[in-house]
Amino acid sequence: MSNPRPPLTPLLASCRILSFFVLVGLLALALDAGIDAGLRRIRTSEFGVWNHIVNGAINADVLITGSSRALTHYDARILQERLGRTAYNIGLNGSQTDMQVARLRTYLEHNRKPELLIHNLDLFSFQTTHGGVYDPGQYLPYIGEPALYEALSRINGNTWKSRHLPLYGYAVEDLRFTWIQGVRRWFGWNPAEDHFQGFKPRHLPWTGEFERFKAQNPQGARFEVEPEGVREMEALLELCRERRISVLLVYSPEYRDMQAMTRNRAEIFARFGQLGERFAAPLWDFSDSPLSPQQDKFYNSQHLNAEGAALFSVALAERLARDQTLASRPAGDRRADRH
Amino acid sequence: MLFNSIEFAIFFPLVIVLYFLLPRKLGTLHLLVASCIFYMAFIPAYILILLVTILIDYTAGIFLERITGPGRRLLLIVSIVSTCLVLFVFKYFYFVVDNVIGVSGFFGLQLSQPTISILLPIGLSFHTFQSLSYVIEVYRGHQRAEANFLNYATYVMFFPQLVAGPIERPQNLLHQFREKHDFDYDRVTSGLKRMAWGFFKKLVIADRLALYVNDVYGDPQNHNGLQLTIATVFFAYQIYCDFSGYSDIAIGSARVLGFTLMENFNKPYHALSISDFWRRWHISLSTWFRDYVYLPMGGNRVAPHRHYGNLLLTFGLSGLWHGASWTYVVWGLLNGFYLVCASITRPWRKRVFGAIGLPETSLVRRAIMLATTFALTCAGWVVFRAQSLADAAYIFTHFTRDWDFSSIGTEQFLLRQMPVAVGGIVLLEAAQLLQGRVSVSEVLARVPLVPRWALYSAFVLGVLMFGVYRKTQFIYFQF
Repeated sequence: MSNPRPPLTPLLASCRILSFFVLVGLLALALDAGIDAGLRRIRTSEFGVWNHIVNGAINADVLITGSSRALTHYDARILQERLGRTAYNIGLNGSQTDMQVARLRTYLEHNRKPELLIHNLDLFSFQTTHGGVYDPGQYLPYIGEPALYEALSRINGNTWKSRHLPLYGYAVEDLRFTWIQGVRRWFGWNPAEDHFQGFKPRHLPWTGEFERFKAQNPQGARFEVEPEGVREMEALLELCRERRISVLLVYSPEYRDMQAMTRNRAEIFARFGQLGERFAAPLWDFSDSPLSPQQDKFYNSQHLNAEGAALFSVALAERLARDQTLASRPAGDRRADRH
Repeated sequence: MLFNSIEFAIFFPLVIVLYFLLPRKLGTLHLLVASCIFYMAFIPAYILILLVTILIDYTAGIFLERITGPGRRLLLIVSIVSTCLVLFVFKYFYFVVDNVIGVSGFFGLQLSQPTISILLPIGLSFHTFQSLSYVIEVYRGHQRAEANFLNYATYVMFFPQLVAGPIERPQNLLHQFREKHDFDYDRVTSGLKRMAWGFFKKLVIADRLALYVNDVYGDPQNHNGLQLTIATVFFAYQIYCDFSGYSDIAIGSARVLGFTLMENFNKPYHALSISDFWRRWHISLSTWFRDYVYLPMGGNRVAPHRHYGNLLLTFGLSGLWHGASWTYVVWGLLNGFYLVCASITRPWRKRVFGAIGLPETSLVRRAIMLATTFALTCAGWVVFRAQSLADAAYIFTHFTRDWDFSSIGTEQFLLRQMPVAVGGIVLLEAAQLLQGRVSVSEVLARVPLVPRWALYSAFVLGVLMFGVYRKTQFIYFQF
């Protein structure tokens, strides 16, 4: 039997309870800082790319931006080899144009501006993020970056909590246990590398998602053109115009059968053309690429697999070389100005 | 407001501090005001409905004590009917209308849906039943009518148990509002620990399992038999942890303030029979139906066919209490059917176990009974959770089909979540096995302060980091 403790006065008892919660608060602060620091030390995979961005370690001549279609379609290694220019892919998985612009702004904050920005276009390029960002945990160590914080705050009014309340983002917003990666990094762990100069090849067979989509949507689908989405695209092009960055808009290959199911495809492409004209950005449409009817080059209707991406990247590089889109300059010519 | 919200994290400490600082005579008023604020955080206007039911039953209680003769029974009936009318209008109106439209359509009559929009006030079923038990107990002479309106209103509106129970009896709770509750360190910390355990069940287990269950039960036709099976077992634990977690938080928060609420769960999945299960599950509701529906109809002290009818009616009504949908009614009737079958087959089962040499104390026999009870309960949960009877039928007929171990995860529930989900269930079951054998709090009290606080801190941070914080209500809020 335990020795009975002398009864605590209400004041002492309250102080004791309060001090426990203060202790928990301090531990939460320490854990939050440790997780952030751990994630910022990762050198590979998705966080590796983010850390290269914010550490100013990229400074590429050719930069690829866009969504998961950018991420998985454009092999920066092939572009670099064929063009003799440094290339990097900062395509953002599961993103809309608003977050892609935020990522680009963050990139430009820390890295030299590219000579050429290749922005991948999607059927959903004119849509903004609704209902929360995909994989919010990836942004948490960098939530202090102004461009990211502003974009995230527009999407989620609780973003300030992720920034100012310890562990809020990792506990509440993130369902993928991103924080465990941050803790593991302190024990020497790094994730297996699956991003190569930012490019993430997908070694996947056809998944059958398209067949399910067709069964549930026999009339096809319509991709909304949101006014705010158009403004975000304009913002991206305006940013490049201000910074004197040449822009190339590319609609990378899409599985042909999906093209027929997009009810407002003509409207979307007309918008692409208008923007291209307005901002003097060439538009290269690979909808009729020889890859488009080849199901074995895709893993779903929107995404090329690794084999398809390699073929597309070669085709793009060859066209860039033929087109002389990049002014001929010695490779490795790194100008001092970033903006 | 939800227990798992930042608003409650600010609200609750303020309520506690003020409660113990204010003079004793203002304590009940303070709790009433706090409870009003708590309730109005949902839909403010609906507090008027609560006030109406409070006024009805407060007045009825006083007159029931004064009146004698046949008028007493009539007053009781009027009070019950008017209280239930509120429940009927807000909860069952559309259910009745939909069924009338359906039936009349069958006879060629085309009726249209009414254009009015009625939202179910949160916790209506709970505080309605709590109010009903008050007037019935006053009528029976088991409870003095509460003359102090403040005490009675706070009894109905007491925020820890206002929206999802436990459904209290006046004999247990009402007198506590007349008593003095001093600040006591051991009682307060005991209450906080109970709340922490409730948050673990709700946030780490229930809300995480919900990600899987919602995906599968939301679209059962696009999930394989293995996923249907896992989702059903997960739902059994989701609903248990969600509801018992809420009860733990309610009981713990009441204890911090010095109030004792009744226990609502007692390890229901350790039950060895369906009747044992119903003695352990949502105890406040099952005893309510026992005392105010089943026993007044005669219970089991009548002819067998009437006994079975009493069981089916009681459980059918219990199902209907849960929601205005045929899935809930069928679930309730299914449980009633289980009990009828158990009653009929009891002698046979006893003979079978005896014949194969398994006495009542046999571990094997208990394991068989536990597994069978769990399976039967899960079968009930399929009907309870399914979006329609058609979905429930699909799930039952596809449990054993197309098992694909490479396709276990769902859209919302990544496979990396499985260890946390399963680990949470294992921890829960381990704690429940220890409960009753070892007093965890006494063991912890013997641990020196620093490691003890390290353990508590680790637990709190663990709940924080492994919890799921989607804006999910407690399941029983919708009832």
